[in-house]
Amino acid sequence: MHHKSTPTAKIFLFIIFAILYTPIFFLIFYSFNSGGTMSHFEGFTLDWYKELFHDTRLFIIVLNTLVIALLSSLIATIIGVFGALSIHAYKKRMKNTLLSLNNVLIVSPDVIIGASFLILFTFAGIKLGFYSVLLSHIAFSIPIVVLLVLPKLMEMSPSLVDAAKDLGASNWNVLTKVVLPYITPGIFAGFFMALTYSLDDFAVTFFVTGNGFSTLSVEIYSLARQGISLNINALSAVLFVVTILLVIVYYFITQRTNMKGVGIRK
Amino acid sequence: MKKLLQLFIAGIILSAILLYAIQAMNESQGYSGENTLTIYNWGNYIDMDLIKQFEKETGVNVIYETFDSNEAMLTKIQQGGTTYDIAVPSEYMIDKMREEDLLIPLDHRKLPNLNNIDDRFMDLPFDPGNKYSIPYFWGTVGIAFNPELLPNKTFTSWNDLWDPALKNEILLVDGAREVIGMGLNSLGYSLNDTNKQHLQEASQKLETLTPNIKAIVGDENKLLMQNNEAAIAVLWSGDAADIMWENEAIDYVVPKEGSNLWFDNMVIPKTVKNIEAAHQFINFMLDPEIAAQNTEYVAYSTPNKAALSYMDEEMVNDERFYPPPELTEKLEVYKNLGPKMLSYYNDLFLEFKMHPK
Repeated sequence: MHHKSTPTAKIFLFIIFAILYTPIFFLIFYSFNSGGTMSHFEGFTLDWYKELFHDTRLFIIVLNTLVIALLSSLIATIIGVFGALSIHAYKKRMKNTLLSLNNVLIVSPDVIIGASFLILFTFAGIKLGFYSVLLSHIAFSIPIVVLLVLPKLMEMSPSLVDAAKDLGASNWNVLTKVVLPYITPGIFAGFFMALTYSLDDFAVTFFVTGNGFSTLSVEIYSLARQGISLNINALSAVLFVVTILLVIVYYFITQRTNMKGVGIRK
Repeated sequence: MKKLLQLFIAGIILSAILLYAIQAMNESQGYSGENTLTIYNWGNYIDMDLIKQFEKETGVNVIYETFDSNEAMLTKIQQGGTTYDIAVPSEYMIDKMREEDLLIPLDHRKLPNLNNIDDRFMDLPFDPGNKYSIPYFWGTVGIAFNPELLPNKTFTSWNDLWDPALKNEILLVDGAREVIGMGLNSLGYSLNDTNKQHLQEASQKLETLTPNIKAIVGDENKLLMQNNEAAIAVLWSGDAADIMWENEAIDYVVPKEGSNLWFDNMVIPKTVKNIEAAHQFINFMLDPEIAAQNTEYVAYSTPNKAALSYMDEEMVNDERFYPPPELTEKLEVYKNLGPKMLSYYNDLFLEFKMHPK
């Protein structure tokens, strides 16, 4: 697989990355603008950052967003893994039906899911706020986890389970010592996917928030309707840096575990 | 398995820390106490210093939330599950909310500052006797234009828009009542006309305007005007004030034939929890000095007559936003024409939108 990349390929790659990153850098650039608008750059200032860090309300909203994303993806991962296990246990036809039902939830528009949750919650008398948002995020994350875990299960040879049972493993042992370790990469993928889905979800959250509870995407939307103030740029810049840091940390963690894997190799 | 458990435990611990932090912050801001007042208002539609002042004076903690359209607000209140104590809908929405029984009658005895409101703005058709609502700000529909892009052009009449020299220059606001109303006004009819022949005439007249129209837009008109990308816009005076704040070259006129008079009003929705504080807040906002400070911040037109004497002369004498009496007489509030007539208006507007250029 060691093709030497041609100049065209390099240029192509460069253009793609430029297109993807320019808007973000444009946004960050203007967060230092003393002019107050995104139309022309007047001078350097850190005022927007100062304003941002004094805005407790916005900070609470950022934390809300993170908590919702973490909790919902954790719970969705647990439920989703068990869902995938049970779908996997069915016979072929039933399996396909269940999988299609699962996929319908992924492709159906967020707006419809959001509206139906709103109706359900008000019908059930659940107060709109933290719990309604958490529940709906869990619900739309589960199908994603199932979808990412299931291929790993399919890939696993059934003889592994048979062999474990032959050697006297109980069902619990089979699950914790054979199946779960095998599908761990799928579970991680599902968890992180659910995390990102929840972090940037707008449509569903928009429907089911209320009572002083808000997440970042909804808040930015209602701020943007009055014309974007540059502290939104500042906030985006901070979030971007945090994301970059997370990616770097994640990179080092995976590097370390890979090394260990190579070193031990039993 | 160990890795999975680690992830799980790390996630739980992190969430717990974050939840604790949120709780601590909410408490430090007084958002979770008992004596709170939740205000549901348009974005950037109040001077936040006044809220702090109100909190200090009364000891009530204010939670301030915003909406971006009357419809979004209606849905949140209709659905229940919210605890808004005060909302600020536009006048046509009040009719609707009243019909759906979403409003609580106001206790005028608790609002002694009510007599500061100009009599012209009391007892209007959308809320006879101000039983449910108190006007918060008012405005008109008119023409914003940029003299730098259109030298030697002046606008005094709706008919000036039909000038063939303005080909592809005009932005219209995307509202059936506003656009059809403009057609009716330009012919000298009432905005609330229900005579189908008059409406047909207006619609035919509007069709001849199509070559001049650049686009029919919503909130985008602000940016387009500010950045000199469009020269003329038909819009609400509030939007015009925002645009003029950003781009000083732009001017605004209320055409001489008359136009719409709109209101945003404070109401107490049925989701109210703290009815006492809600009245306190409305009364606080009606105080002349408070209203004056708020008006200078928001820059819309205030219905508070007593507040005018506390305001900047230049602002009060600005005829674009406080039109002289001759013109005020010609301004009309939208009447609720009933669903049938409304859908006729909408059909005409749709036909107009689809009319080939």
